[in-house]
Amino acid sequence: MKTTRRTIMRTGMAAAGAAAAPGILTAQTRPPASRTIRAVMHGDIPTYDPIWTTANMSAYHGAMVYDQLFGVDDKLQPKPQMVSKYGVSDDQLTWTFELRDGLKFSDGSSVTAADAAASIRRWAVRSGTGQLMLQRLKDISTKDDKTFVVSLKERFPLLLDGFSSPSTPVLFVMRKKEAETDPMQKIDTIIGSGPFVMNQAETRAGSQYIYDKNPNYNPRNEPPSASAGGKVVKVDRVIFQNMPDSQTAVAALQAGEIDFYEIPPIDLLDQIQTDRNINLINLADLGTVGYIGLNWLHPPFDNKLLRQSLLYIVNQEEMMKPTFVDRKWYAACGGWMTCGSPMENDANTGWFKGGPNLAKAGELMKAGGYDGRPVVVLQATNIPYMMNAATVFAQQLRAAGYNVQLAPMDWANVVQRRANKGAPDQGGWNVFFTSSGGLSNANPYMIGGMATTGDKGWFGWPSDAKNEELRTKWINAPTLAERQAVGRELQENAWDIVPHMYYGQWRQPAAHRKNVTGWLKVPEAIPLWNVSKT
Amino acid sequence: MTGTILRRLLSMLPVMGIVAICVFLLLHLAPGDPASIIAGENATPENIARIRTQLGLDQPVWKQFLVWLVALVQGDLGTSMFWGDPVSSLIAQRAEPTVSLAITTLLVAVFLAISIGVLAAAKAGSWIDRLVMGFAVLGFSVPVFVVGYVLIFVFAINLKWLPVQGYSPIADGLVLWLRNLVLPSIALGMAYVALIARITRTTMLDVLAEDYMRTARAKGVATRSMLFRHALKNAAVPIATIIGNGIALLIGGVVITETVFNIPGIGRLVVDAIARRDYPIIQGVIMVFSGVYVLVNLLVDLSYTLFDPRVRG
Amino acid sequence: MRIARFSRRNPTIVLGAMILVVVVLVALAAPWITGDPVLLIPADRLLPPGAKYWLGTDHLGRDIYARTVHGARISLLVGVTVAALSVIIGLGIGLAAGYWRRVDAIVMRFMDGLMAIPAILLAIALVSLNKASVSIVIIAITIPEIPRVVRLVRSVVLTVREMPYIEAAVSGGSRGQKIVLRHILPSTIAPLIVQATYITASAILIEAGLSFLGAGVPPEIPTWGNMIAQSRLFVARAPWTVFAPGTALAMVILAVNLVGDGLRDFLDVRLARRM
Repeated sequence: MKTTRRTIMRTGMAAAGAAAAPGILTAQTRPPASRTIRAVMHGDIPTYDPIWTTANMSAYHGAMVYDQLFGVDDKLQPKPQMVSKYGVSDDQLTWTFELRDGLKFSDGSSVTAADAAASIRRWAVRSGTGQLMLQRLKDISTKDDKTFVVSLKERFPLLLDGFSSPSTPVLFVMRKKEAETDPMQKIDTIIGSGPFVMNQAETRAGSQYIYDKNPNYNPRNEPPSASAGGKVVKVDRVIFQNMPDSQTAVAALQAGEIDFYEIPPIDLLDQIQTDRNINLINLADLGTVGYIGLNWLHPPFDNKLLRQSLLYIVNQEEMMKPTFVDRKWYAACGGWMTCGSPMENDANTGWFKGGPNLAKAGELMKAGGYDGRPVVVLQATNIPYMMNAATVFAQQLRAAGYNVQLAPMDWANVVQRRANKGAPDQGGWNVFFTSSGGLSNANPYMIGGMATTGDKGWFGWPSDAKNEELRTKWINAPTLAERQAVGRELQENAWDIVPHMYYGQWRQPAAHRKNVTGWLKVPEAIPLWNVSKT
Repeated sequence: MTGTILRRLLSMLPVMGIVAICVFLLLHLAPGDPASIIAGENATPENIARIRTQLGLDQPVWKQFLVWLVALVQGDLGTSMFWGDPVSSLIAQRAEPTVSLAITTLLVAVFLAISIGVLAAAKAGSWIDRLVMGFAVLGFSVPVFVVGYVLIFVFAINLKWLPVQGYSPIADGLVLWLRNLVLPSIALGMAYVALIARITRTTMLDVLAEDYMRTARAKGVATRSMLFRHALKNAAVPIATIIGNGIALLIGGVVITETVFNIPGIGRLVVDAIARRDYPIIQGVIMVFSGVYVLVNLLVDLSYTLFDPRVRG
Repeated sequence: MRIARFSRRNPTIVLGAMILVVVVLVALAAPWITGDPVLLIPADRLLPPGAKYWLGTDHLGRDIYARTVHGARISLLVGVTVAALSVIIGLGIGLAAGYWRRVDAIVMRFMDGLMAIPAILLAIALVSLNKASVSIVIIAITIPEIPRVVRLVRSVVLTVREMPYIEAAVSGGSRGQKIVLRHILPSTIAPLIVQATYITASAILIEAGLSFLGAGVPPEIPTWGNMIAQSRLFVARAPWTVFAPGTALAMVILAVNLVGDGLRDFLDVRLARRM
């Protein structure tokens, strides 16, 4: 990889740090503890380019240092953020956007329409919604320094949803210089116009990521609401600490060594709730959806009847309870799209309402001609909720007469193995477990798993023309009510073909010290603006 | 003497070479895909493939090996696949906590172990001996992470004497630095105490039984000075050996201890890297750890000449 | 009479051995004296010890008594197999290296290299080489132990080789192979037995550490190590989840170490302890 100026500087500094006078670096201007928030998020930041990856932690990083053209309010409606005024022509084909005044990047330069246009282009290549937009896009042009125009060949009702979406990859605005980088190339420069600036000199990759308040950030003059409204920073510094051991993180929270912990294990909540200094808070109403990938290429689940048999075997309640303990935190959901979202419906959910029915499953297994061949289930052993769900899943299938082989391995191994299209006994698989954000899953195009494009599609490679037709119909539906109607049709079909399944839905409460307040709810992100410490 | 050191240093080279080959092959023949993890859950297989190309992971293993080896010979450990930072600077950033932990652990362990080992030997057969040695064996029998959690629970959460986790650089003050290292050093030192104490005791007993010690006793040299002057000096060689061998134990323990106490050291760096298959970091850290191991054992060997002039011949 | 005298002189061996015999018997009888260690009943999760579950249940609603008893099988299997494998392989290599000088240089450099790689990192990497399984874990723990055994054997050989009776055998025209087998091999047995006990203890502990780091035996298969590792979140809330496997682990390691120490004193092995 290239040696950038940054890496040279950092190496130099590390060397200086190791030398005789290590005090120089740290003694600079460290804000007092009362003006610093230490937060432990769900994982480590894999890379700093939030467009290049869809990893959530990179989006968390992005939300600190970059700003968005649009945000969503607490009802998930798009609201202008960097944009001041916007309008659309009567034929819905020409969208004009004007940036608000006083937007500046952390290098001091002003944010221009050209930066925004380049950022949209780069994002569009990597985003599901963006790719739909590109198919309909004629041109993005700049009128002046502050105004840009998006011209379409055909209507695209989801344009603002795409621009404002907090699902990864998020449309963050970068400088034109970086935004013109090939979307497949990673950007190493971190210059944004967001409410924080990353302090790269003190950041220790893999251990702590330091963000200082951006003195030049000019927030909107409105009260904050999710990622819309004024992003007013009320502390001097935010530190993301990487702490993979949850036992240690909870202990650190109790001791006041950290202020926020995104994913306290449910089993430790008792311990946390008795602590007078700690509050639990629910930051994501739609929560997370547990996704069971089924392999359509190989027996037994290349057979529709056998996939259907799973509907009558799988008991979400039992898969959720070991990890999420109390119904307060989890729910079984029979919908194909996230329960609690506008797309929730009960089309074709007889299997769910009736609960597990091994007799019915047995009939389907017989009709499908299950021959006792092993079902290879990939089990990620270093992610507790996936490990637990897979363990219970195996037992349920065995009780129904399936010959299950759990293949335990770490997550890095799962993500490689699930890409293998070979037969299960030759390095392939039949079932894997993952999860996706409730917001992304409330939508038939946001995550790859909803597509049924066969070989070219996402892992599992389901193939179904009807589902594809309905997805296109959904995208083009102009109103929410019409989308909901298509949503029913989608689900009706989905629970017939069973492209994949779910092991439940959960809302992970976060925990914070009581003296740190002002947390905003944004699906799939944790905003640190508006948070203050007393 | 200088010649010996030089020859020994040179003999390190083939050892390190073997380490390099083993490590590289082991990692690259193992499954696991950093590209998929970098790409995130929503990424399409196509995007993942592009990232793989960009990272050079689609190249044949021998080619990747050559590229890495050529860089390694020039002292370049490569860059992290995830953050793009040079591995050498990541290791440099993480070295201070790990070295601090290793040193405090070693000091705690050696001091405690030799004291109780000598005590047990002096009172051989008595209940003190049994008690002390029972404790030593017990220390060896409980996993480091169990000891760690118990210590956190008692001393950090209930008594609030010491911090739960984390590391404070020496530059921020010696007291803070020490406070953060007390619990991890004890947790990690337990096994070490047990090991060294037992060796100290048995060696001491052996030495005490030797003719010249009997003579010394018969001559009426005072017990305590006898123990320390004669016996300990002779016991030094095996103890030094154990410390040398124990470095491997210590390095293994560091990996777990840093996870329990959230110390941002090299152990944590490599455990996280393994989970994500960040190959350059894993390779770099193993090379560094191995180098340290080889060097420490070299020093231990040389120290024999110091403790025991007979070895020189 | 003799047994009584042996016991009186070597109380540690007898005590350790008695514990081990009990544990082995319990492990062998596991299927007959417990329920299903894999069966999980999520509704019964984290129940304290009681009439239905003698030692309580874990976070998945599995019977801790059944898992602890079955865990003895796997933990002992890991410990004993690692010890046996590393001693056998190490003995072969060590004898060859110690006796034939030409082999020595190459083999010992290789062993030095292997020894220099931190055992736990090597093991973690090896476990991720394949899907987690008991045999992979055994191999992963065995490999780093081998060089230690080789060094021990080699040092014994080097000492013995200089003994007058070997020289006599050589001048008497015995072939190398015969000398190694008849004269040298026997002197390695005592230190190796002692070494093997220590390897057993450390293998069980390393397995626990690997489980802690998520690179151990498959989570469905109970071992004391992965029971402790999986239950570590519940230490405060449901201490029994850690107590049973923790006690069993500490007890067995203690017993193995007692036997090892006792044997070392009894056999008067000077070399073993120096490793």
